[in-house]
Amino acid sequence: MILDLVDHKESINRLLARYGVKFGIYKNNQFHEQLFPFDPIPRIISREEYEYLDRGLSQRVLALNAFLKDVYSEKKIVKDGVIPADFIFSSKGYLPQCEGICPPKGIYSHISGIDLVQGKDGCWYILEDNLRIPSGASYPMIARDLTRRAAPEAFVRNHVADNRNYAVMLKETMDYVNTGGINVVLTPGRYNAAFFEHSYLAERSGAILCMPRDLFVEDNKLFYRRYEGRKQQVGAVYRRLSDEYLDPLCFLPESLIGVPGIMDVYACGNVAVINAPGNGVADDKGIYYFVPHMIKYYLNEEPILRNAPTYLAFYEKDRKFILEYLSRLVVKDVSEAGGYGVVFGSNLTREQLKALADVIENEPRRFIAQEVIDFIDLDIVEDGGPVPRKADLRAFVLAGETARVWPSGLTRFSRNPDSFVVNSSQGGGFKDTWVLSR
Amino acid sequence: MGIISVERADHLYWMGRYIERVFTTLCTFFDFYDQMIDVDFDAYKRYCETIAIPDVYGSREVFNQKYLYDKNDPNSVYSNLERAYGNAIVMRDEISSHTLAYVQLALDCLESAADSKAPHYDLQQVIDYIHAFWGCVDDRVEDEEARNIMKCGKYLERLDLYLRLGYPSGAVEKEYSKFLNRLRKVQLNYSKEMEDRLTEIIGLGDGGRARYDEALDAIWKFFEVS
Repeated sequence: MILDLVDHKESINRLLARYGVKFGIYKNNQFHEQLFPFDPIPRIISREEYEYLDRGLSQRVLALNAFLKDVYSEKKIVKDGVIPADFIFSSKGYLPQCEGICPPKGIYSHISGIDLVQGKDGCWYILEDNLRIPSGASYPMIARDLTRRAAPEAFVRNHVADNRNYAVMLKETMDYVNTGGINVVLTPGRYNAAFFEHSYLAERSGAILCMPRDLFVEDNKLFYRRYEGRKQQVGAVYRRLSDEYLDPLCFLPESLIGVPGIMDVYACGNVAVINAPGNGVADDKGIYYFVPHMIKYYLNEEPILRNAPTYLAFYEKDRKFILEYLSRLVVKDVSEAGGYGVVFGSNLTREQLKALADVIENEPRRFIAQEVIDFIDLDIVEDGGPVPRKADLRAFVLAGETARVWPSGLTRFSRNPDSFVVNSSQGGGFKDTWVLSR
Repeated sequence: MGIISVERADHLYWMGRYIERVFTTLCTFFDFYDQMIDVDFDAYKRYCETIAIPDVYGSREVFNQKYLYDKNDPNSVYSNLERAYGNAIVMRDEISSHTLAYVQLALDCLESAADSKAPHYDLQQVIDYIHAFWGCVDDRVEDEEARNIMKCGKYLERLDLYLRLGYPSGAVEKEYSKFLNRLRKVQLNYSKEMEDRLTEIIGLGDGGRARYDEALDAIWKFFEVS
């Protein structure tokens, strides 16, 4: 079965090149587009395991949505002492401009990308939550389509849940919160790192791919400007640009890629913004520590999925532990993303450890530390044969009427045998994720 | 789809123009290239003059390399194809991944042929991909208005090049008629004055040749409406 796929590694990658499956990267202030290396050996998840993940991920996203609703309204979780106020209000992701705004249907994180790894003990651990604009669903989606062309036999002999329904799920998610009008995917432009994804998801979901200049606000409604002069009301914006650039009248005034006034329209409930602005407060690496507490607090349930063992330098007890065991921990800067700001203590010299310890003591809110999970390797094809590499899984949870986990996901792997960092921006590749349907 | 903004209409129109520019200039290049093999080594000078690009090449060898492949030469086939790609890539949702793939394939083909000693042979595939591109446009671009805007660009560019290249007046008239047919089906803003001027000059048949510069000026200003 796997041999079918291994033999077709080159042909599948050629097809991916044909369809422009690329990501952008800035190096030395220059934009480069590069192909996203695809490995044909899929990650395989059994049906039972998927059902377990489905329950755990849905639970987590429901709790995170409840947290966001609470944080931007009553703040009960702070008043009840579950999460320290400082921790929320000093987060870079907390946006006071979003205070009191309730998005359509009360949904904040419509599309959540939850990163997990599987330990060698078989347990799944959540590494981080991405609730702003998580990327990556388009890659396994198109890869599946092309893999089925190149190696149909592999799918004759295996019963794999079809993951090409992601666009339908996305459309249903947009339609559910749409306030009346068309659905659009708002991209900052073709020089964005994830532009392929923006355009592909627009194509597949039937939404209009639009640039900021295509949109304007009038009478507290959002409109799309048609070329012949007419205007079309927009009911849902799947925006693929960061909060701070979204509306120059509300956030960064120098933003040239935002839509002036869109936040007012959103605050009045006249357009759905997917995902909601301000979600960064919930996927802050520091807040991650509290997600199991949120599940208990909001849902009165025990968390199904575990966090990686995490220590907050903010708490004195944890800080002491971190400083004592720094050489075995992985330290993460909460304000960084994309694999940046991640330091493995085991890779540091004595002097570097001392320097890091000083920074942690001076800026404790800035860092978390985690035990290094010995997560399983997955085989990738290199020089015609399999070699083991570290890999994670980004699962996508779409929240509409209910929270639904996409029966697939983006499996990213490190191409460097000595590295745990799987991010595409750092040279990683990707695999399809098969969920067996029986 | 079927909802097109000003910016997207612009991309569709220029995608059509640049794809056509690559197609017709490459076909014309092949004719001149054939001459340069053993008949007229300096034929490229006439080529530059005919399509109104500066002769910055100095020799047929440099011309063959730079005019086809040089990413820094704004008049090269590569640069024009890259512009077509730049307009196409932002329209994936409208033209479909299948259609866009042919622009990507043409660009990849041009890049991989950069050291070719037989460009007419190696670049035939670029022509094939462009044919496939337009076939795909007809089959895969669902919105008729989008197709018509692209073809407005295609036929106006072809008209421009045919006038410059001195094509027979019958061929010029045919392309102009195709252009008008598409123009009537879209709601692009254009200059009626320029349309009238073009109609008059092209309607003169061979007698209008002396006024082709005027016709080219009218094409330039056709969509320049404030």
